[in-house]
Amino acid sequence: MILIAAAMMGLIGLVFALFLVTANARFAVEVDPRIAELEERLPGVNCGGCGYASCAAYAEAVARNGEKIDLCVVGGDDTTRDVAHVMGVKVSDEQKDKLVAVVFCQGDSEASAFPGVYKGIPDCAAAIYSQDVAKRCKYGCVGLGSCVESCPFDAIHMSATGIPYVDAEKCTACGNCVIACPRDLIELHPLKHDAFVYCKSLDPGPIARKVCKKACIACNICVKAAAADDNPDAVSVRDNLARVNTRNYSAKPEYGAKCPTQCYNSNRNLVNKEAAMTRIAAQRRARAAAVEA
Amino acid sequence: MSIVVLILSAAIVNNFVLTYFVGICPFIGVSKKIDSALSMGIAVTFVMTITAIVTWIINRFILIQFGLPFLEYVSYIVVIASLVQFVEMFIKKTSPALYRTLGIFLPLITTNCAILFVALLHTMRGYGFIESVVFGIGAGVGFTLAIVIMAGIREQLETADIPRPFQGAAITLIVAGILALAFMGFSGLLSA
Repeated sequence: MILIAAAMMGLIGLVFALFLVTANARFAVEVDPRIAELEERLPGVNCGGCGYASCAAYAEAVARNGEKIDLCVVGGDDTTRDVAHVMGVKVSDEQKDKLVAVVFCQGDSEASAFPGVYKGIPDCAAAIYSQDVAKRCKYGCVGLGSCVESCPFDAIHMSATGIPYVDAEKCTACGNCVIACPRDLIELHPLKHDAFVYCKSLDPGPIARKVCKKACIACNICVKAAAADDNPDAVSVRDNLARVNTRNYSAKPEYGAKCPTQCYNSNRNLVNKEAAMTRIAAQRRARAAAVEA
Repeated sequence: MSIVVLILSAAIVNNFVLTYFVGICPFIGVSKKIDSALSMGIAVTFVMTITAIVTWIINRFILIQFGLPFLEYVSYIVVIASLVQFVEMFIKKTSPALYRTLGIFLPLITTNCAILFVALLHTMRGYGFIESVVFGIGAGVGFTLAIVIMAGIREQLETADIPRPFQGAAITLIVAGILALAFMGFSGLLSA
């Protein structure tokens, strides 16, 4: 009895094994071994910052179509070097500045006028489409946290007063929140740069001031301060809004010392900046030491 | 029992997921989007049908023939595992996109209790060959139906204003429960 049972199970197993062996030979898929290796080196968070749907898709594009190797913003220079190693190409040792997301609005519940309460779908874009935003300012943060939802790294959060703030330690500049914000209030800028105008309102001064205490009223004080510092192209005013030059990042926080609405200041929607800067400096030192050794 | 009654019974009245509560893991796991739910349903239906055929043959010509009914579970598991392996190879070759969508749930069909349940049930009820095949198809169709309905509801839930304690898994399970209640309404339709 036991023998028959064993023999029959063995037989069944054998038949299926043979069947699978044939099927495997028939349906074998050729895979570039570099793809698996690249996937292993990539962060694997599938944030989409490189423009591909997933890390696997990016790995495939690099190995198969010769896509650029430095598109992974999350892994940064280290990952670029790993990818270059797998692909057998050389990269320069130049360091890229760490970017973080910057939220260009300070219209929180204290500064901004909120005439009503929004009770629709909890999504910023939905609120805008339904013309139903609670906040008066039509350029400011809607405050429903679509950017928070979009972040795969848990790096952006809502403050108690309703404006998102970014964790510099966790932010990888993948750009998901930049896309998620229906009012284009989030941009990626170097961590070390301090001075920005935290407002995107194009309303003329009197209106802007009425809807938000911290709106830019285009008073030109920061422009004059920059001119006095012999740095005239650091800040400019266009369409009722002061803008910091983001091509050369030459603006200094001091230019905002006399800003009447405090919209020009040093980075306020950011936490853990010091920790992130220290960590990056330490990493660079370690890498420099490794290169020398 | 006529074929039509059998297929209706397996697919709707005694729906595997909503009446017997087997195959809950993919039912909850892959029911976020209608597309992937439908492909999961089709994959499960395929595996179920082939399983019903192969296990019936094994049962009839090996287990009964040699008086080894106690090997039922072991041999059926071997059959299911091999078939899932085969389906995985097949999908990987023919549709890499589908392969990526199903992800881990494809190999997990192996441990989908609904499939073993089909095999065990047709043995237990002593179905003939045609009946077993039809039973497998019907059960698969029922599973597909349940998972697609579930995915449709969950797509709507994405934008619904759900109270915080109910968000996520909680509301999904509640919806599954209500869906099961709704399917209980069919129970007077047939007595099988």
